Parts: sequence; C-alpha cells; structure tokens
Amino acid sequence: MQLLTDPGLRLALVAVVAMGLACALLSVFVVLRRWAFIGEGISHGGLGGAGTAWLVALLIPQWDQQWLVMTAVVLFCLLMAVGIGYFTRDGILNSDTVIGIFLVASVAWGFLAQGMYRAVLHREPVGFDTLVFGQMRPVSAAFTLAAVVACAGVIVSMWLFGKEIIAYSFDPLMAQVSGVRAGLMHYLMILLLTVMVLVGIRMLGSILVMAMLVLPGATALALSRRLGRVLLISTAVGLIGVIGGLGAHAWRRYLPVGPCIALALFAQFLIAYGVRRCLRATSINSQ
Amino acid sequence: MAAAPIADYDGRRAATKKFMSDIVDISGVDFAYAGQLVLKQIDLRIEQGSTVGIIGPNGGGKTTLVRLVLGLIQPTRGTIRIQGMMPRQAVRRGDVIGYLPQNPRVPDDFPLNVRQVVRLGLVGKTGMLRPHAQADLDFAERMMDRVGIIELADQPVGELSGGQLQRVLIARALAAKPKLLLLDEPTTGIDRSGQQRFIEFLTNLKQELGLTLVMVSHDLRAVTAMSDRIACLNVKLHYHDVPQHLPADLIYQMFSCDLQAMGIGQAAANKGFHCNC
Repeated sequence: MQLLTDPGLRLALVAVVAMGLACALLSVFVVLRRWAFIGEGISHGGLGGAGTAWLVALLIPQWDQQWLVMTAVVLFCLLMAVGIGYFTRDGILNSDTVIGIFLVASVAWGFLAQGMYRAVLHREPVGFDTLVFGQMRPVSAAFTLAAVVACAGVIVSMWLFGKEIIAYSFDPLMAQVSGVRAGLMHYLMILLLTVMVLVGIRMLGSILVMAMLVLPGATALALSRRLGRVLLISTAVGLIGVIGGLGAHAWRRYLPVGPCIALALFAQFLIAYGVRRCLRATSINSQ
Repeated sequence: MAAAPIADYDGRRAATKKFMSDIVDISGVDFAYAGQLVLKQIDLRIEQGSTVGIIGPNGGGKTTLVRLVLGLIQPTRGTIRIQGMMPRQAVRRGDVIGYLPQNPRVPDDFPLNVRQVVRLGLVGKTGMLRPHAQADLDFAERMMDRVGIIELADQPVGELSGGQLQRVLIARALAAKPKLLLLDEPTTGIDRSGQQRFIEFLTNLKQELGLTLVMVSHDLRAVTAMSDRIACLNVKLHYHDVPQHLPADLIYQMFSCDLQAMGIGQAAANKGFHCNC
C-alpha cells in the first residue's frame, strides 16, 4: 500500500511500470537476436562517460554537477551503441570481441576516474552510486515524466515497425532480400535498446539494467513458442518483477530497488524454466 | 578450356531483338575480394520466363554472383540491372526477386508459426507503417496451399523437418509474387528421387506463376534436368547456352563428372571421360 500512498514511491511506481512494459517487449527481441552482451556493452559505456565527467569536474570544479555526469553517460552510451551497431552490422570484427574490449576499457576508465576523484576530493564522485547500483532515493517528477515519454516512444516504435523488427530478428539476411531496410532496423533496435538502458540505469544501475532487458523475454520464451503469448507473458513477467522489486523496497527501505527487481525477475525465470522442464519430461513420458 | 560461345549467343539474340524482355542484365561485371578477382568480366542476360542454371565448381563465384544480384555486395566494375533497376532498388520493391537460400535454417526457439514466416515474405512489398493488403495475404495463403504446407500453418517453425522448412521458405519467397525466383543450391541434401520430385514441382510452379527461375548449383544433374539455358561459371563465364550444347570437355574440366549418365555430352563419353563424383 505504501507504494500508492507515498508520493515519492508513487512516482517511482509509474516510472518502473513504464520501464517494465517497454523493457519486457524489447527483451523478447534482445533474447531472440542474442543481443544481451550488446546491452551490457552499452550500459557499461555509461561508466566511461561518467569517468570522463568526473575528470572534467576535477579540472573545472564548477562543473562538478549531476547534469554533466548524466550528459556524459548519455553521450558515451550512444557512442558505444553506434560503435557496436557498426561492428555487429558489417562484421568487420567479431562483435563479441569488440564489445568485450570496449566494455572493460570503459569500466576501467570509470573506476580509474573514480579513484582519482576520491583521492583529490576525499568523497565519492557525483552520481557514482546511482550509476553503478541504481537509485535508492525516490525519483523526481521530471525523471518520471522523461522515463514515461521514453518508454512510450519505444513501445510506439515497436508497434509501428513491428513487422520489420520481427522479420529482421528472424533472419536479417532474408529480411534484407525481402525488401526490408535491414540496416535501418538494426540501428533502430540498437537505439531502442540504448534508450531503455539509459532509462534503466537510473533505477537499476549499469550492472543490473540488463536484467530488465533479458529476463522477461527469456522467461516468456521458456514457456511459449507463440509470439503473441510470448509478448504477453514477457509483459506480465516484467510488470511483476518491477512492482515486486519496488514493493520489497517499500516494505524494507534498506533493500535496494535494483537488486530486488533483478531477483524478482530471476525467480520468475527459474520457475518458468522448472515448469518447462516438467512439461517436457511429461510429454516425453506420455510418448 | 572450351571456346566461349557467349558472343555468338548474344549476336543471335540481338538479331531477334529480345533484349527488352531480359529480366536480368549483367554487363562487364568484375568482383574482387581482398584484392583477388572472384568474378571477372561477367556478361549474362536472362530472359523473362526462362529457367537458367548457373553451374560451376565450389569457389567458382556462384554465391558471389547471387549476392551481387541480390544487391548485398556491389560489383568492383560493371553494371547489374534487374528489370532495369539496380539490384538494391529491385530488392527493396519487395516483389521483384524471391530468394531461397542455401541450407536454410531457422532458430529452433523462434516463436513464429509457419503462416507468420510465409507472411514475412510480404514485409518488403507492403512497406513500412502499413498493414498487409488482403489480396497479398490471400496469395500467401494460396502459396502455402500450393507448396503443400497449409496443414502446418499453425505449427511453430522450429518444429519442422528440413524438407518442410524448404517448402515454407519457397512459399515465403513466392508470397510477394516475384518475377524472378533465385534458388541457391536448392537440391543440396535431397536424395535422387526427391530431387526429381522437386524439379517437377518447380517446373510446374514456374509455369503457373510465369516465373523466371535462376538456379545456382554445383549439382550438374539437377540443373541440366530443368534449365532452358546453362551458365557455366568459374571466375569467368565460360559458357551460356542450351544444356544440350554444353561442351563436354569444359564440364569434365570443371566437375570431372560422368556426363553420359546425365544424358549430356555424348562426345565426352566417346572421348573417354569418366565419372569422378
């Protein structure tokens, strides 16, 4: 009940429900395209961006502000997304290798900058906890509005380009030779993933954000082979995960939101996987 | 190597003024990969309504030619026109080229049924931000019926056998009523009797829909059985004419095959060429 009565938590509830819906739908295609690692790469790009902002803040103390960190995070995530999109599309280099390289470089750069900032100013850099572990404090109205608009944009884009996204996810080459603008769909999907990563980082942090973009889809795909049902199950799993996670935080405030959401999603995945195994065993026995 | 009769062939065609009916016009095409010429000076015209088999040994450039026709790669030199359009334009229209890939595979866990996969063939033709036209959906349904998969329409595509999947992908390739159907090694993995049925099936389909068929294969037997013309490709185009005139020594050099058994190249048998494949 606290979720509905506490104004701060009410805003957080609106933000996570919007995120839960958009991430759940997108996660089906992230899983089908095997793009989980791409998402990890993009989300960890944010740490490199924040690191750059912290170093700039050491040089120009007036700029030691949250806006600079967030701007740098957005820029670096977009840069990472474009780079990953380019390499994964053209096959110039092995995409996993490229993502692995840039991911560790970005994380290393972020932690290096954090260490320098802490050594000079004797405190954690601005936005460090939020970026890495997600936000524990209630969210602002401005963030909630931005999150809802971004999530609505992702959902509407997926609805408008649904048949192209499905064709591209099924087989990029066949989609292209059927007349689908496969390059456009590739970058559109990378962009949608980046938007959701950026929104999700605020709540879950860069380490856990991919839970929202993998687990609902993986859970739904363990339970069904019908696209309509998969999208419905994924949405339900996503919503249960975010509301359950936020509810746990409302119940005991010391429980961080991000890990609660990630574990709520993981628990559902385990149950779905167990159900699938049981169903398979039953069908084999009945044959 | 046999003398190439391409010039004679083109001369005959110019005389009969049939160029306007060419659906594919490949002119002076080179393609180099990593500095090495994979295709050299390819000239090939394919008449509307014909069946052309493109044969050649592995590594002879067949797949590269397919990729060029599909606009997936650009020629280093020369031009390709499909119905007067650049390949990319033709492909983007969605209703010009149908394509059946080599060794078709789909992800087992993909949550689409057969009907949904066949309808993916309409996505390019329909275009973005528009729903499929009812007439196109009806035609896709007809193609499913025609290739014998209508009973499987609601079955998840990941549960199909290889043969069923091939038929699904043929229906998908035909769903947008293309003028040209491009088949890349379609008989790979099919036994002899199956090949015969497949060839009859394609021949009937071609007549029904007024298709132009281009079949790329290293399976000489299958290609010669159904093609009006054969194009023999090994980096260069060595031959382009009717299968009956296929120079036996050229085939022997390319394939080391038993020509007599295929009912072609009697001269080769007389010359003592023997089967090696």
